[in-house]
Amino acid sequence: MKSLVLVVAITFLVFGCSKENSFDEREINLISPEKISGFDPINASDKYSANEAGKVYEGLFEFHPLKRPYELIPNLAESLPVVSLDGLNYTFKLRKGVYFHDSPVFKQNIGRELNAHDVIFSIKRLADPKLNAKGWWILDDRLVGLNEWRIKNSKNEKTNYEEEIEGLKVLDDYTLQIKLNKPYPQFLYALAMPYTFVVAREAVEFYGKEFLNYPVGTGAFVLPKFEQSSMITYFRNPKFREKLYPSEGEEGDDKLGLLADAGKKIPLVDKINVHVMVESQPKWLSFMKAKNDLLEVKDVNIQQSITPDRTLKSDHKEKGIRLIMKPMLDVTYFAFNHDEPIFKNKKLRQAMNLAFDRASYNRLFHENTAFEAQGPIPPGLDGQKKEFKNPYIKYDVELAKKYLAEAGFPGGKGLPTIVVQTRSDTVSRQQVEFFEKCMEKIGINIDIGMNTWPELVNKVTKKQHQMYTMAWGADYPDAENFLGLLYCPNQAPGSNGANYCNPEFDTIFKQATVLQDSPERTDLYEKLNEMIAFDVPWILGFHRTDIYLTQAWLKNFKHMEFNHSQFQYLNVDLEVKKQLLNKF
Amino acid sequence: MKEKSLWKDALGRLIKDKWAFGSLIVVLTYSLIAVLSASGVIAQDWAKEVGASNLAPGSEYWFGTDIFGRDVFTKVLHGTKIAMSVGLMTALIAIPIGVTLGALAGYYGGWVDDFITWLYTTFSSIPNIMLLISITMILGKGIFSVYVALGATSWVTLCRLIRGEVIKHKEREYVQAAGAIGGSHFRKLFIHILPNVTHIIIINTSLQFQFAIKSEVILSYLGLGVQGEPSWGTMIDDAKLELTRGIWWQLAGATFAMFLVVLAFNLLGDALRDSLDPKLKGK
Repeated sequence: MKSLVLVVAITFLVFGCSKENSFDEREINLISPEKISGFDPINASDKYSANEAGKVYEGLFEFHPLKRPYELIPNLAESLPVVSLDGLNYTFKLRKGVYFHDSPVFKQNIGRELNAHDVIFSIKRLADPKLNAKGWWILDDRLVGLNEWRIKNSKNEKTNYEEEIEGLKVLDDYTLQIKLNKPYPQFLYALAMPYTFVVAREAVEFYGKEFLNYPVGTGAFVLPKFEQSSMITYFRNPKFREKLYPSEGEEGDDKLGLLADAGKKIPLVDKINVHVMVESQPKWLSFMKAKNDLLEVKDVNIQQSITPDRTLKSDHKEKGIRLIMKPMLDVTYFAFNHDEPIFKNKKLRQAMNLAFDRASYNRLFHENTAFEAQGPIPPGLDGQKKEFKNPYIKYDVELAKKYLAEAGFPGGKGLPTIVVQTRSDTVSRQQVEFFEKCMEKIGINIDIGMNTWPELVNKVTKKQHQMYTMAWGADYPDAENFLGLLYCPNQAPGSNGANYCNPEFDTIFKQATVLQDSPERTDLYEKLNEMIAFDVPWILGFHRTDIYLTQAWLKNFKHMEFNHSQFQYLNVDLEVKKQLLNKF
Repeated sequence: MKEKSLWKDALGRLIKDKWAFGSLIVVLTYSLIAVLSASGVIAQDWAKEVGASNLAPGSEYWFGTDIFGRDVFTKVLHGTKIAMSVGLMTALIAIPIGVTLGALAGYYGGWVDDFITWLYTTFSSIPNIMLLISITMILGKGIFSVYVALGATSWVTLCRLIRGEVIKHKEREYVQAAGAIGGSHFRKLFIHILPNVTHIIIINTSLQFQFAIKSEVILSYLGLGVQGEPSWGTMIDDAKLELTRGIWWQLAGATFAMFLVVLAFNLLGDALRDSLDPKLKGK
């Protein structure tokens, strides 16, 4: 009896304390599906760390939250830069009245105004050889004198930030000049990426190694200290500058209510809670219990929420939940290691490609929501012609057998067992198992190599693999980001993990990368895309579809590929939430 | 009254115990399935697509089909081979190590004992699953690594038990007598003492078998075990994604197969102890 009393008491204690949805605070609840690796922008290489860094830090530019195709707009910069005729000299004007968050690193704990020195410092930090930043590749061999500075300082005991670099000049407190050593048409995109977010030198020096846990930015939200736990809570930055919600967007945005807050000062909410939830089922359940406002639906959860004809299930509709499905700018692939002699055999690559049953794969693993990739460039970017159909993207076992025989391996005879490296989670394993079954049909034996994510990256970087599986998501809306995956100088440890080298491809790629966006460049991109379609350096997979569910009370969410800057615009309608909550 | 030998007596008692006898039959059946599967008589076509994906259990496919339309029942049978082979190989690796080290430590004492005691206490202080994971990481993944990893981690209990028993026995009169007529250390230890502690090895093997089977399932579930062929662990791993969609048969098939054999080994181990340990006789 005593124990029963105790149980009852504990129950009251637990449930008495648990806060039900409160309506006095304008808060939104989001999910991060991976653990956050810290808040140092120069290392925010994965999407989820970038999303968190983007709530606190800002860059010189950002993508317009509503307009599509993606449009770069000035953020910490006052306007787009003045560029010299040769495309090498960029002069930036900074916005006045941008203040860092209040923090003990500043005098009297009050955040100071941002100036041109901060921008230069942040770029130098990205190049600092001692920090070995994951984002260095975006500026590697781009700025005059920056690489030389990096090499020189790698020998010094301490990096010398005082030294002037020719390519990075402060003209006055609000003006800076950046000099490129060759045209870099994607340069402004680089200044919208998390790697170049502006940090305060005081904070870097004050916190030292702990800097990644104490974000001091200029953004719309404040996080005094980051702790690795299941929830991160951001508060509205009370001193945030006058930044307004955009008043124009894509056609149809006003009908979707995305312009209701036009002209209002952001941020529109007081608090953002980010719940770190790795397992798919708890994420889905907590969304269905209204504990979260936004859910990225993947794999197995697709069937639970969406009917086969791509509409929301009726129980979801009753709760007011909305469905957003948009094609992603990404590509998945099975890469060959072209250093392996057998894969120099083009007929073999083509045979394997023809034996891969994409339709069944799409049904089993993507619920038919993905699109078969015709080339590496996803639709929506210049370089992928709509009508282009890759002749090798079809499932034809007989033709595959013929090609395999022509390759010198009739019925797979003479071929060693090929090991495909992948991640060790269940879905990755099943995907390679499926591939194994496809190859079995033409007599090729496949083994699965299962790895943790760091192990897989390590094997690819050290070229210790025959084949591996990968997905690449766009860093910025330019096909160069995808074609570069097959450019010879980008070989491992660079992004060309397939170690593919095709001199003809490289020549055209080099020509294209220094061109500004133009029909001429698009032509070159299209040529490269088709070259890859015929040469089959990878077995192309899919361009996937992003599927989001949002609660009715979450406002201003629009699908966005590079969404780290998007959260500052979100809003919540508490009236709607109050009305709908009893349906959950 | 005719004198019965220790073994005959034990066997008689084992057969009289319904549960123990049933367990023995179960274990023998599993072993038979494993042998037949290993020799290619059954479950060779586990990779064949027999029907649509994720068919529910029915008269045609007793345990249903998996995501690729493969028969789950055949996969369970194939998994039996993996599980039993892991049990057997682990025992073959662990028993010689455990018995030899335990016997040496118990018999010689002194620094030999100190060293071996240090060794096994160190081993047992490391959480087992962590040790297993690190060994498979070093050796690379695959069934061979599972054998080695489990063999290398599961000798500790046996070693400790044997050491204790040998310490007890080495002061007994029959050992003294063997010494008195000129028996060497080797003779005393391996010819006289060891046969008297064999029952511990047998009981322990039975228990070790089920530990190995469980560990293989855990390792395969974590993606560290068997690669490229079905084992009960990978089936349960698959089921993780299927359960929410109401596809329960892979989980049910694998866990039921595992449940039965682990239970059988446990009951058998208990029964063996009851019938073999002379101290428990008549209780």
